[in-house]
Amino acid sequence: MLRFDVRAAFRDDATTFEVAADLTVRDGETLCLLGPSGSGKTLLLELLAGFHDHDGSIELDGRSLDDAPPEERDLSLVFQNYALFSHLSVRENVAFGATYHEDARDPDALLARLGVADLATRSPETLSGGEKQRVALARALCVRPDAFLLDEPLSALDAPTRERLRDDLVDVLADETAVYVTHDRTTARAVADRVAVLRGGRVAQVGPTEAVFERPATRFVAAFTGATVVESTDLPAGLDAPTGTLAVRPEHVRVGVDTGVPARVTRAVREDAAHRVTLAVGDAELVAYAPTDPPTETTVAVPPGRWHVLPRGGRDADA
Amino acid sequence: MSTDVRYGGVPALGARALVLAVGAVQVAAFLVADALGRPTLYVAFAVASAACLGALADRGPFGIVAACLSGALLVALVYPLVTLVTVASPESVLAALARPDVRRTLYLSVYAPLLATLLACVLGVPLALLLRRGFPGRPLVESLVDLPLVVPHSVAGLAVLLAFGEGGAFPTLPVLGAVPGLVLALAFVSAPYAVDGAREGFETVDRDAERAARSLGASRFETFRRVTAPLAVRGVLSGAILSWARAVSEYGAVAVVAYNVSVFYPPAGERVQAMFGSVFVVRELDVNFDAAVAVAVCLLAVCVVVFLAVRALTRDAGRWA
Repeated sequence: MLRFDVRAAFRDDATTFEVAADLTVRDGETLCLLGPSGSGKTLLLELLAGFHDHDGSIELDGRSLDDAPPEERDLSLVFQNYALFSHLSVRENVAFGATYHEDARDPDALLARLGVADLATRSPETLSGGEKQRVALARALCVRPDAFLLDEPLSALDAPTRERLRDDLVDVLADETAVYVTHDRTTARAVADRVAVLRGGRVAQVGPTEAVFERPATRFVAAFTGATVVESTDLPAGLDAPTGTLAVRPEHVRVGVDTGVPARVTRAVREDAAHRVTLAVGDAELVAYAPTDPPTETTVAVPPGRWHVLPRGGRDADA
Repeated sequence: MSTDVRYGGVPALGARALVLAVGAVQVAAFLVADALGRPTLYVAFAVASAACLGALADRGPFGIVAACLSGALLVALVYPLVTLVTVASPESVLAALARPDVRRTLYLSVYAPLLATLLACVLGVPLALLLRRGFPGRPLVESLVDLPLVVPHSVAGLAVLLAFGEGGAFPTLPVLGAVPGLVLALAFVSAPYAVDGAREGFETVDRDAERAARSLGASRFETFRRVTAPLAVRGVLSGAILSWARAVSEYGAVAVVAYNVSVFYPPAGERVQAMFGSVFVVRELDVNFDAAVAVAVCLLAVCVVVFLAVRALTRDAGRWA
């Protein structure tokens, strides 16, 4: 279990940026730090890895890491830019940490497990992005770390490679304790057991992935996780929406149903398997996914229980 | 990596074949002009052939003008050196090499810059590492390091003499007309190259790779030894070569500090008086022109050989760890 309650201030010439977080990652759990650029998620990760001074405490399996240098933390890092050692072969990269860990895993077995056994003698510079990240994962796995710290490991990859590696990553991290930084809600939803949404260096909401996505605590969390935020007063009475500021996920909004209220399609964009449809309903705007391109004049319904009333005082910037 | 370049209507040649062909044509033209005793012809030919290549590359009028100007610069850089080599007859070079004072000069001209480069690297590589990590006042330190580049070299020599010579910072250190003084003067003018080369080498090292190494269990020192140093060694070495080459070519500072140097000369097994190469060449011009040219050619040869050797070594320097 990785527990941390940390605060740190980062200064440059003009500004100070503060990061503060109190989070727990249970054994075998993947916690996603989800947030926009500049929300402090990478700084938080680097802080856990031991590269920045901080106040507060970091505890890994009951052991305090506060004064431990990075090499004694038993946390393996995986980076967006792979950070392979370009002067070493693939196998030497994977085996790098074995020098310092008696219980290290066999590099060749790891390369085979990640489907890149045939690259063992190659130079990292000759590999594709997906191959590089597989090697980097093998390198991180080799030392049997107590936890993984992953910083946008899929963000530099093209879509097909990203999806394939994401699926493998889910398998690799299944029983591992991991903190996974991403700005991409789709990735977060796919890999995370729990999500902490970050904004301005603070945790805006933390909870099980589906809970955060279905029941966002603030407007910011709702918007960043892809929900639509509307005021109930702007919706027609026929939608049977509860009162207050509401969040609803696009996948719950049904288009072209007989029992629905009239709606007008203002935009429809094809996305992989579905059409992402923007609808004008009363004075509000809703987003939905439809299997086919709907006619301009259609109907819309939201099943009861799919509306989420944002908590009062669920202001942003509160933690 | 070979890319085919199609030159207008000319059949496509491999890049390597094209370079060889152009080189062969240039050498032939030079030899013809040399045999005719009309060097102007060759200079005109070289610039004209550059213009032709520019025109064939089909990059418009700017391409032709740029090729002309680049051709002129290359001629200005390479032609004098080639002329120097062709002017010196093999006999005069051998005759010069037979002279003990010439041999001492060559020895001193390689040995003292080597010591200076060693000094510059021992003190400069850690500084380069600090500069890359960053610290308050870094811009100031950077300017100070590069200061010798803009100081006239005779002024630099005088400054070294006053600072470290008799009554200076190191009272027991022989400076005027001595190897330590010569090395200090050479290090003064060449250290910026060593520091800048090393810093560029360190700056190419991926910070995340170093962080990855730390997280895999490598201490600061181990990370430096296994990751930072192997990745930066190319930059450090090329800085060292530049620094050495700069020291070999130094004249002004040496002329002030160590015109005549008392140095232990191993083949003789005793202390001898010797002159630094550039100083020797300048003095010998008035005494024996052929000997001056011969020594100049030898110095050039030594520099080219060392330059090429270290270039070849650094090609896969990454594997040195």
